[in-house]
Amino acid sequence: MRAVEKREPLVPAWLRSSRMIALYSVVAGLGAWQLAYMGLARTIYFEAYAIHHFLSSPLQVIETFGELYRSGELFKHSYFSLLEFAYGFVLSVVVGIPVGFLMATQKKINYYLDPWVSCIYATPRVALAPIIIVWFGLGILPNALIVFLGAVFPILLNTYTGIKSVRQNLIEVVKAFGGSALQVFFKVMIPDATPAIIAGLRLAVGRAVIGVVVAEWFGAEAGLGYMVYFYSQLFQPGPVFVGIVVLVVFGILSFMALDKAQGWISPWYAYQVRREVHGMEME
Amino acid sequence: METPASKLSVRNLRKGFRSQRSDGSIQVFEDISLEVHPSEFISLVGPSGCGKTTFLRILDGLIPHDDGEILLDGKTVVKPGPDKGFVFQDSSLLPWRTVMDNVILGLELQGIDKREARRKATQYISLVGLAGFENHYPHELSGGMQQRVNLARALIVDPQVLLMDEPFASLDAQTREIMQAELLKMWNQTKKTVVFVTHQIEEAIYLSDRVVVFSARPATIREVVTVGIPRPRSLSVKRTREFLDLADRVWKIIQHEVLKSMGREREEGIR
Repeated sequence: MRAVEKREPLVPAWLRSSRMIALYSVVAGLGAWQLAYMGLARTIYFEAYAIHHFLSSPLQVIETFGELYRSGELFKHSYFSLLEFAYGFVLSVVVGIPVGFLMATQKKINYYLDPWVSCIYATPRVALAPIIIVWFGLGILPNALIVFLGAVFPILLNTYTGIKSVRQNLIEVVKAFGGSALQVFFKVMIPDATPAIIAGLRLAVGRAVIGVVVAEWFGAEAGLGYMVYFYSQLFQPGPVFVGIVVLVVFGILSFMALDKAQGWISPWYAYQVRREVHGMEME
Repeated sequence: METPASKLSVRNLRKGFRSQRSDGSIQVFEDISLEVHPSEFISLVGPSGCGKTTFLRILDGLIPHDDGEILLDGKTVVKPGPDKGFVFQDSSLLPWRTVMDNVILGLELQGIDKREARRKATQYISLVGLAGFENHYPHELSGGMQQRVNLARALIVDPQVLLMDEPFASLDAQTREIMQAELLKMWNQTKKTVVFVTHQIEEAIYLSDRVVVFSARPATIREVVTVGIPRPRSLSVKRTREFLDLADRVWKIIQHEVLKSMGREREEGIR
């Protein structure tokens, strides 16, 4: 007798989810790296070219991570970089959102500020880093300033675009029901511009991390960028990769935090972002 | 003195827009006068571009007019407010607000207590047949449902007059018919005075007590057609002789206006 029964799929569904596949991909990539390194280590080239001064394997990076963590060195560098990031980013938000808003709503202000914003935005900000170090010396403040220069523009410009593209018909609705200018601002302009502003914040996070690294290359006594640079000068790839990995993880976590914030602000948000901001994040 | 029989009076209204190209202005309305009785359902039709929507916006006080006066219950209309309920064309719901929060907008803007407003909104949401959808977002609703929310949002402020700007224009033919019938049912319950703008002649006749036909720009009132079809009207009246004759009459006036304005445009083009 042939039983009519549903066959269990060979691999259960949760193991085939997109998250699990992403995990497999990362594990496979790291595994390939590890095997390639181990293979290379068996050849004569490894000694002949002192490969260990240039390359490191995932397992060695983990080991180095442990060493740096125990010695407290990693904490010191991370703390320094985090402070630069935090100061620079908060300053970018505090300046970028109001200025973007004013430029979008006040024509006169826009006329005065637009050339400056365009010029500074077009300037390669890496080129400004050395002179800022010269002016302000070594320390957290000048580095935070370089972070600010990188992060403020995506926030400012996205706020500007967001406010400019607030839907006029929605403003008219609030006016038609007797809403005041202040009510129009809080009940339409702010919510309608929020997706664009948050997209700007996401771009700014990436820029800020670059800012931290660049600033520390030009002048710092600590920080993850400094650590990366310092150990590459000593031909010690282990700590270099540790620094890079920590920066990457930090960037990813910030992105996830902003995603969470989006979901938390309002459930309509995801829909809104999908519909409107799709083009804005490409840069 | 204004006649007490009128809910809404428009007297010698004129409106022009400054032209972008020349120093002159484009005259939109030339001396429009109209009396709307309490609980009357009036439709405005006319050739496209004649300014029906602009007229409705002026009635609401959203945009200013040049000359003449508008009286609602004997008081001059100067700005928008809760004495007028405006039902917009499509996609005018705030996308970040649920059905409930969209409906209470008018009350919220007046500063009425939220709990009170929500209680009232529940009643209006079920009046428009959306009970159970209070916590849905606009993008989760069909076009017809969105327009029901739009209607509830206008009704909740308990306006003296309901101004409707082509509210069913973007709906498919079947949904449109259903909404027309529903609107009449609700109008019967609330007895609001309604000014309804549409480009669909049969919609105007089916809904209205009187159909106001605008001329081409500069718009004046070409004719006011009284619809004598008794109420309540079922959708089947649209196939009666009387209905079709009325539609034909309105259509001929509009056609005449369209041809006239096309001729004038051709002349202007040559010049």
